[in-house]
Amino acid sequence: MTVRIDDYRSAVENHWCPGCGNFGILEAVKKSLVQLDLPPEKVVVCTGIGQAPKLPHYLRVNTFNGLHGREVASATAIKCAAPDLTVLVHAGDGGAYGEGGNHFLHAIRRNIDITLVVHDNKVYGLTKGQASPMTTRGTKAKIHPHGVPSNALNPLALAIAQNCGFVAQCMSARGDHLAATLSAAIRHKGFSLVHVLQPCVSWDKVHTYAYYKEHCYELGADYDPGDRMKALELVLAEGDRLPLGILYRTEQPTFEDLALSHLDAPLRDLPVDSGRIERLMPKFQ
Amino acid sequence: MEVQIRIAGAAGQGLQTAADLLGRALTRAGSFAYLYTDAESRIRGGLNFSHLRCSDQPLHGISQQIDILVALTDAAVTEFSHLVSTNGIILCNRENTHPRTAPFTLASLLAEIGGDKALALLSAAIVCALLDIPRGLMESLVRDHFGSGAALESNLRALELGYRKAGELDHATRFRIAHAPAKAPRLWLAGHESVAFGAIAGGVRFVASYPMSPSTGTLTDLAEWAREASLVVEQAEDEIAAINMVAGASYAGARAMTTTSGGGFCLMTEGVSLMGMIEVGGVILIAQRPGPATGLPTRTAQGDLHLALHAGHGAFAKAIFAPKNLQECYELTARAFEVAERFGCPVFVLTDQLLQDSQATMDAFSTKEISQKRGLLSEAQLADMSSYHRYELTDSGVSPQAAPGISKHVVVVDSDEHDVDGHLTEKPIIAEQMCQKRLRKIASLKSSLDFEPIVEGQKSSPHLVISWGSTYETLREARNHLKKKNALFAHLHLSQVWPLPVERLKALFARYDRIILVENNAVPELGSLLCECTQRAHDVFINRFDGRPFSVEEMVSRLTEVLP
Repeated sequence: MTVRIDDYRSAVENHWCPGCGNFGILEAVKKSLVQLDLPPEKVVVCTGIGQAPKLPHYLRVNTFNGLHGREVASATAIKCAAPDLTVLVHAGDGGAYGEGGNHFLHAIRRNIDITLVVHDNKVYGLTKGQASPMTTRGTKAKIHPHGVPSNALNPLALAIAQNCGFVAQCMSARGDHLAATLSAAIRHKGFSLVHVLQPCVSWDKVHTYAYYKEHCYELGADYDPGDRMKALELVLAEGDRLPLGILYRTEQPTFEDLALSHLDAPLRDLPVDSGRIERLMPKFQ
Repeated sequence: MEVQIRIAGAAGQGLQTAADLLGRALTRAGSFAYLYTDAESRIRGGLNFSHLRCSDQPLHGISQQIDILVALTDAAVTEFSHLVSTNGIILCNRENTHPRTAPFTLASLLAEIGGDKALALLSAAIVCALLDIPRGLMESLVRDHFGSGAALESNLRALELGYRKAGELDHATRFRIAHAPAKAPRLWLAGHESVAFGAIAGGVRFVASYPMSPSTGTLTDLAEWAREASLVVEQAEDEIAAINMVAGASYAGARAMTTTSGGGFCLMTEGVSLMGMIEVGGVILIAQRPGPATGLPTRTAQGDLHLALHAGHGAFAKAIFAPKNLQECYELTARAFEVAERFGCPVFVLTDQLLQDSQATMDAFSTKEISQKRGLLSEAQLADMSSYHRYELTDSGVSPQAAPGISKHVVVVDSDEHDVDGHLTEKPIIAEQMCQKRLRKIASLKSSLDFEPIVEGQKSSPHLVISWGSTYETLREARNHLKKKNALFAHLHLSQVWPLPVERLKALFARYDRIILVENNAVPELGSLLCECTQRAHDVFINRFDGRPFSVEEMVSRLTEVLP
């Protein structure tokens, strides 16, 4: 089977702002899925609400565009019911780390084989410029005219501390690097987090393309993603240098290994089979 | 012939073990048992009881009469001895001066065999002997329950002693039940298990829940049977995750369920709205308990009908079943899955603590009435289709559902308003068409679930008693008691509380002068819904809202007050 970029072409009109970082991510996703030779009907993209979550509409792909912040929960169940499919979650920083923070933590614990791609533009774009959990403390925002009083989250440190099996950081304008990292994340068995830095051209005048060009650097071949403490050191470092690449990677049993091993077929394909109760009733005689 | 036994004492004393063994023994012997448990929300201490009714016919009402009181604490004697019948007996753990106490204490018997670990079994053994249950039958149950080792040995000694001491009582022959072995083995199980059996018979494949009394029993059962029944049970991080998982699993093609109670369900309502919008099926068990907030965690109520009915914003199809007894816990749960998948909508099963935790002797469940047909397009059907539209506009409002991954088609669902292909849109004409489609689905579901209301009792009486859910069995017994006193009434019990056959109900209500509403809650739930739908308000409201179920005795007295 040879999958082509055109297989993912969507006829839906794109609603993003011109110059939005999401465009780079969209192209990289297509590129990665083609690289992996995954046809659209074998991929599910699960999203919530916001600008980033519109992404699957701009692809031709199975789509579950559910509730804000709940995309990881729904994706978990989709993977349980159809483990033969590749399940991607695309969420904004508000959905993934704000509304969906609890699901993020528990997805790491489960280590279910889904890939969470967080589009981090440090702002609530679709609702017009409120602070997100990634907004720098002190930043003036719509609901914080005198500055955001809370610290920004450090999701990379959180994920590494929780021994998340695959933790990467990318930048939306570095398409080839992003596509290659997404492919590695999708190939990784277990939960993977790809945190993508992206400029918001409408609401954020600080984190621009130029800003990221200046501050980002790609991890070299000498970097060992198996070194958890080194990875933590990197993501906890003070300063404005932003490492890109696979920060941490470790293999461990997946949720499917432990929770689906008793099934002969995907849950989706099982018949009703009421007769199953026959073998359970004798316990109650 | 009926014998009623109440085993009362502190949490942790083994009351439930003893009562469960007794019920199972009676079931195997061929009689009918019904067990109702009243427990506090604690693991040790307090005053709990298990009330067992034993008879030659199924009697599932709540009763306040006691023939044999097993009082494991002094408080149990104080609290319940006044309910003991004149021929009754009280088996006390410690010395007590009550005139109906047995000539020995359980504590003294335990001292004979050494150790107090066998208190529950000793009391069960004495009761079994009084009920004329063969000792061999009880012994095999004890062996099954305690496995091997020291615990088994001490319980077998307790069994032997219990049977011997029972034989010395004046009451030795008073409570003998004529056991009639059943043609086919019957089951001894709880309402939560009936629901779980219904779920498996209904083809459940995925369950996601956050534990909450009194629904947790069903979740535990399904988890225990997951391997044998080929399903996946996941303890979600919260109720919000649970319902969004149900929506996800259902989208991916698995019949899915969540189990919760009112407080947990409050967290799920946006997810219910999602199911309505993206049109996926799913079964939601709400095992009701009193609210608001944490309320009474281990108690019963019928307060969540409107909560379920109005859960989620926007207009979309849903159905609500409220089983009237343990048999319907099975039947209606199984049915809920079929309806949910066929219509791609949430279907609720409303039980309550009483139904969940009660145990009863039941005939083996039948699967004959349960459709084995999946409601999704097959691989072959999809292969023949040149295009697929997840939200195809149909007359019924029900669009053919496909699972992703089994065909060349992609399946797109969106919580935003969407076009026929599932892509978000704000075009007014499409928004209106999609809304109309969902409204047509509401109508299709209503006509598919239409039913003729069945009136029991004295149909020609001017008084119509209306009830729903778990009050049925108690009311049925009360009706029979009142019939003997010539206090007659017609009785309409609804096990499907949404959608309602409104026109049929209107016609029915017109035949009665007075409507007497019975509900286990503070504010009428069914009553106000019926009034809203039929413009006929109830005339009398018989209710109870202390977290306890009505008893037959109370129901007789409350009805007597309002019947001429």
